[in-house]
Amino acid sequence: MDVVATPTPTQPQPLAGFGHIFRFMARRDRLRAPIWVVSIVGLFATSVASVVGLYSTPAELQEYADIAGVDAALKAIAGPGYGLDNPTQGAVVMNETLLYTFIGIALMCMFSIIRHTRAEEETDRAELVRAASVGRLATLTAACLWVALIDGVVALGIVMSLLAFGLPVEGTVAFGLAAWGIGLVFIGVAATTAQVASSARAATAGAGGVLGVSFILRAVGDLGTGWMTWLSPLGWAQSIRAFADERWWVLAPIGFAAVVLVGAGVALSSKRDLGAGLLRQRPGPEEASPGLATPLAMAARQQRTSLISWTLGIAFIGFFFGIVADEADQLLENETIAEFYSQAGTGTPTEAFLATTVLMVALIASGFTVSTVLRLRAEESAGRAAAVMATPVSRYRWASSYLIVSVVGTVVVMAVSGLAIGVGYGLQLGDTDQLLPVLGAALAIVPALLVLAAFAVALIGLRPSLASLAWLGVVVSATVGLLAETLDLPQWSRNLSPFEHVPALPAASLEVFPLVMLLLVAAGITAVGLVAMRRRDVG
Amino acid sequence: MINHDLPAISLRNVVKTFGSTRALDGLDLEVATGEVHGYLGPNGAGKSVTIRTLLGLLRQDSGEVRLLGSDPWRDAVALHRRLAYVPGDVSLWPNLSGGEIIDYFARLRGDVDKTKRNDLIERFELDPRKKAGTYSKGNRQKVALVVALSSDAELLLLDEPTAGLDPLMETVFQDCILGVAAEGRTVLMSSHILAEVEKLCDRVTIIRLGVAVQRGSLDELRTTTRTAITVATERPIGGLEAVEGVSAVRPDGASLSFEVDNDALGAVMSHLAGFGIRSLISQPPTLEELFLREYDDDLRLVNHDPTP
Repeated sequence: MDVVATPTPTQPQPLAGFGHIFRFMARRDRLRAPIWVVSIVGLFATSVASVVGLYSTPAELQEYADIAGVDAALKAIAGPGYGLDNPTQGAVVMNETLLYTFIGIALMCMFSIIRHTRAEEETDRAELVRAASVGRLATLTAACLWVALIDGVVALGIVMSLLAFGLPVEGTVAFGLAAWGIGLVFIGVAATTAQVASSARAATAGAGGVLGVSFILRAVGDLGTGWMTWLSPLGWAQSIRAFADERWWVLAPIGFAAVVLVGAGVALSSKRDLGAGLLRQRPGPEEASPGLATPLAMAARQQRTSLISWTLGIAFIGFFFGIVADEADQLLENETIAEFYSQAGTGTPTEAFLATTVLMVALIASGFTVSTVLRLRAEESAGRAAAVMATPVSRYRWASSYLIVSVVGTVVVMAVSGLAIGVGYGLQLGDTDQLLPVLGAALAIVPALLVLAAFAVALIGLRPSLASLAWLGVVVSATVGLLAETLDLPQWSRNLSPFEHVPALPAASLEVFPLVMLLLVAAGITAVGLVAMRRRDVG
Repeated sequence: MINHDLPAISLRNVVKTFGSTRALDGLDLEVATGEVHGYLGPNGAGKSVTIRTLLGLLRQDSGEVRLLGSDPWRDAVALHRRLAYVPGDVSLWPNLSGGEIIDYFARLRGDVDKTKRNDLIERFELDPRKKAGTYSKGNRQKVALVVALSSDAELLLLDEPTAGLDPLMETVFQDCILGVAAEGRTVLMSSHILAEVEKLCDRVTIIRLGVAVQRGSLDELRTTTRTAITVATERPIGGLEAVEGVSAVRPDGASLSFEVDNDALGAVMSHLAGFGIRSLISQPPTLEELFLREYDDDLRLVNHDPTP
């Protein structure tokens, strides 16, 4: 009688290879992770230092509370002002630093998760990895754990910064836990969108959308509609009330949301094929539309969705700030507020507020401007640029494709956003006086954005491997634009931001000369980049 | 306007370095107008770098590159009207359908032949409605092939055009190239598939470490290399190792096997005659042996090693 060997029951090992993958992610991020941690913690610690220095006496603290507790615009961008009725240094620190730090953490977590999961699948590497003895869930769980670890290091850095400035331990712990928790929630958000969306870009857009909506929901909630705050993870993180009579139970919904979202991501990931989203791609047309005949048309086609989403998102934010702008008038008599907006120029507080809003909108729009130019580099790395340049398309023509889309798209984004601010303001006040001035302000700031685009072109031409340093221009501009006063930056460093040279319309009067200069600088830098690109190898 | 006197491609002593690596190290390559030229070599030998230099995407450090009579770096745009290119690793826009991408490239090239396009799509069994992101490597390759083959370019630069194609599609490709050759157009193709090279190419160049190590027609290559000989003689053969051009001598039963350079055949025969030849079998090298010899540095050293 033959003995038939019983086949060993094969156990599904969804986590096989976890350790290897985890170590590999750590290795890939050996530069990126420290940069994230140092940037976020460094900026945070600097801000804490500056707040602690500026507000040390009860009188100074009270003065801050008088503004931040009532100013609608500040509430919208900073939070409801917990603990400001009896202000402590801790409460002021939280009000000044928590929201933007947490946005930084959320961005770090979602970019990192998508980089290690969905974006990786779009290369051929993921197939190689999955083909090795690696479990179906190993990559996603390793990514979640790895990013949670980076997030934890950031939270620890925040805790140490707060303790270093002698702030109370209890509030510090609450702040740190909230920082870690908001990261975990956005790890979950990205882990989920990475499964649902049909591409890495769509997954990033989805997670970014959740962050944007979170910001707006809590802004509306903080301005009065309290329950909306509770729909926003950012709102929960604020509601722990670090340094303002901590409410520890709020950690529960944060932890719960993180667990549910990561769980959803893991569950969904076992239901889909490698490289495919749960949302299926529809078949495309058999022939190209007649217009798709030039690199410019291709660039426009590739950036169409991006342009529409940026425009709608930014216009929505602008509209919202337009609505709250008139509140600035009520604070007309407050000297300190006038000082706060003094950066903006000499107009009324409302005009100063509108000018600040235009600047903020432009800083967000710079994300579109720069990312569109950087698509040139992505096209080159993927090898598609070489295929196009092997046809009778000159390098200038190829390079100008995404550049033109970036320039025209930036004008569109700013024009629509300017209109949205003006319309929001007009609806609230029932007058349309500010409509054209705000639109003008939004367009006058475009030359500064073009300088950032030119910087990206120059990097792509001169040092393509360092192209992503183009984001440095955005970081510098945002730091100068939003934190120059808080950080007490010297004037020479403020001058590095192109936005510093744009008159703060509608609060200041229009000066043409600096705008022309910015345009010339942008044109000059662009020319350098294009010439360098003509001279180098394409690879 | 095809000038048959002028070579379609000519590289003279071309050097291209990337940092400390010398990708091309004094490369000479000539492709006559109207021929199908095979470009062979191991991975990393410099085949793709050559083709990218011919496209004006890379600029050589020194040496002269002429393509259709012009400098490909300076006159890239004008030259590209006259050539078509299939990259080794085809990358497409994942959100566009194959048909859209084919049309886009055809319009960039400037000649749109719809009949040819649809015919090729059908022959290659490509679904043009599918998004390129869902294509396999083979299907991405087909998109690039349809673009190149539907053009009327006088020169085709193909970088491993059949990598990823199944044998059936390979046959379709070969038919297409034979058609192109019959029209008198020039083809430079790199390949690892020897049967394909043997079927399509008039002449080949073998490149290794950035230098051309062999060139000529396949027949020429065969005769310029070595022959394997097995011989049985009445008396034991002595002193064979000392004859110039003989290598890999080893006893084979009662006989003796060795390899000999073809230009030393005469000398070897007279040497052997002195021992009374009973039987002799000579074998020309197979194509595969030919390539292996050129590809593999170590193998060649072993074969030249005079010690038994």
